Amino acid sequence: MLILVHPWLIQILSLGFWKNPLKGELSVADLPCAIQIQGLSKTYKTGFWLAPKVSKALKGLQLDIYENQAFGLMGLNGAGKTTVIKLIMGLLKPTGGNITVLGGSVSDRLIRDQMGYLSELPYFSKQHTGRELLEYFGTLHGLSGKDLRHRVDEVLELVRMVKQAGERVSGYSKGMMQRIGIGQALIGKPKLLICDEPMSGLDPVGYKEMRDIFIDLKKSGTTLFLNTHILDEIERVCDRIGILHEGELKAVATMTKILETSVPVDYWIDVDSGEAPKFHGLPFQAAVQKNGGVQISGMVLAETLALMTSRRAKIKGVRPLSSIVEAYFLQTIGAHAHLRAPEGSRA
Amino acid sequence: MKRIAAVAVFTFRELVRSKLLFVWLISVVVLLGLAFLLSILSYGDILNIFMDLGLVGMEVSGLMVLILSLAVTYTTEMDQKAIYLQLAKPVTRGEYLLGRILGFFLLNALVVLGMGMVVVGLVLFLGGAPVPTLFYDCVVFLLMEMLVLTVVGLTFQMIATSMVGVVVYSFFTIFLGHLTGEIQWLLGKELAPATKFALQVVYVALPNLEVYNLKDRMYDPTMVLGLPQWEEVVLYTIAYSFFVFLIGWVNLEKREFK
Repeated sequence: MLILVHPWLIQILSLGFWKNPLKGELSVADLPCAIQIQGLSKTYKTGFWLAPKVSKALKGLQLDIYENQAFGLMGLNGAGKTTVIKLIMGLLKPTGGNITVLGGSVSDRLIRDQMGYLSELPYFSKQHTGRELLEYFGTLHGLSGKDLRHRVDEVLELVRMVKQAGERVSGYSKGMMQRIGIGQALIGKPKLLICDEPMSGLDPVGYKEMRDIFIDLKKSGTTLFLNTHILDEIERVCDRIGILHEGELKAVATMTKILETSVPVDYWIDVDSGEAPKFHGLPFQAAVQKNGGVQISGMVLAETLALMTSRRAKIKGVRPLSSIVEAYFLQTIGAHAHLRAPEGSRA
Repeated sequence: MKRIAAVAVFTFRELVRSKLLFVWLISVVVLLGLAFLLSILSYGDILNIFMDLGLVGMEVSGLMVLILSLAVTYTTEMDQKAIYLQLAKPVTRGEYLLGRILGFFLLNALVVLGMGMVVVGLVLFLGGAPVPTLFYDCVVFLLMEMLVLTVVGLTFQMIATSMVGVVVYSFFTIFLGHLTGEIQWLLGKELAPATKFALQVVYVALPNLEVYNLKDRMYDPTMVLGLPQWEEVVLYTIAYSFFVFLIGWVNLEKREFK
């Protein structure tokens, strides 16, 4: 019997826990905090001063980010993710609560010297070359002379921009801008790296390279705070994730915890249509006959596979129809019900 | 200091490369064209007229470059959010603002001094006579005026919420700043107390650009430019620039970047 199984499935079924080589079992209680957020709230006022409209972007956020870990913040558009990052970086001022970064305040220059920040779709003066930009940002970190040149060379190598370093930014593609953006965030060898949608604009190769950079940074002890929509990035890089929905932190969990949680993920079992008669009397016989496979819940995956193999069926492959993190995310924000609601059921 | 210098050099390089100096180049070409025309048409004080034209050209091209550079950099820094990554670095907002001011002023000094050198060169070439000392005084006064307007313009950039706002505020400040003599004249008249108070506020708040207007009095025989006059103008420049810089700094500290 030939069984082609998705790697995630192997991890879940045969090993019983998430086997990301970067992660072990985490005991977060004793870990020192890189960022402590207490009761953070942010209200935006818009409209005319006589009739202002108030919108609450964040409502009493409580969150700890531990040192030497990668934290991924997930949420729908408008959930407040970018607001959290801007508040951490001091670009916005909180309406309530407070934030401690690396044991101090972000307004402290020495604290900011240990931080790297990449904004969503970073933009630079187009009149400079990539190298000049990195030299400028390096100087702001207090680097100069040989140290600066050496560090700029190192970073250009890291973000694969050595060849284009002498060209003006005006000729750069979106992906190249993103690489220089990461470069400027790394120029000061940050202890804490905060990235808002770091994969935006990257091609698949760039995406993989960026992910490798994050993994290497994490190995070298850099704390990562990633705000991203890309679930694969979260799954492969992050130790913990937080789910922000409508300005509230709905859940924070380690990846290990998420994988232990029985999240309803559906799987596709790929079976040749000719095998359908072997499933005589079983509810999925018709589905196999018609579609060459069957979609089943993860809750009954093991039983179904056992049943199929007992009838000597050739299973061509098994793959999850959504990632576990995605399922966890959708379950947490209650989107399953929303997404599956019949048309017209919403007011 | 290193960070302020880094911001200044970065800003200056950005402005120089953004083709704003074409405005300066056009001004020089226009000036040369006028000089050529005048040399054909005039028989009298062609060198004096030429120096007058040069000083006007320096001021106009300096102001045009300043307003255009404020508009261009507002788009990059604020609209397209290039400022975010810079303020996230270990540089204070005050250092950033001061660096920007220095970068802008370097460009304006380049424009004014470049045009000045063209004028001096042409005067020497056409007339062979030495350029009067007062001409150089005029250039230094013009540089001080540019410094004050640069600080005002960048303060507007920190306060304004749109590029149009920056351009409009800067333009009106320059325009009204040249009318302070008229405002002073009005203040000497019989006015309603409220009007008088409002005019006094405007008079104090606006940069008094008339103190830098030496070129209109270059051929005034009663004109005296001694140490007290220099002290007065230099102190006014420092005090006004510092005060406006503080306003810009406080605003930048308070500003939120949504």
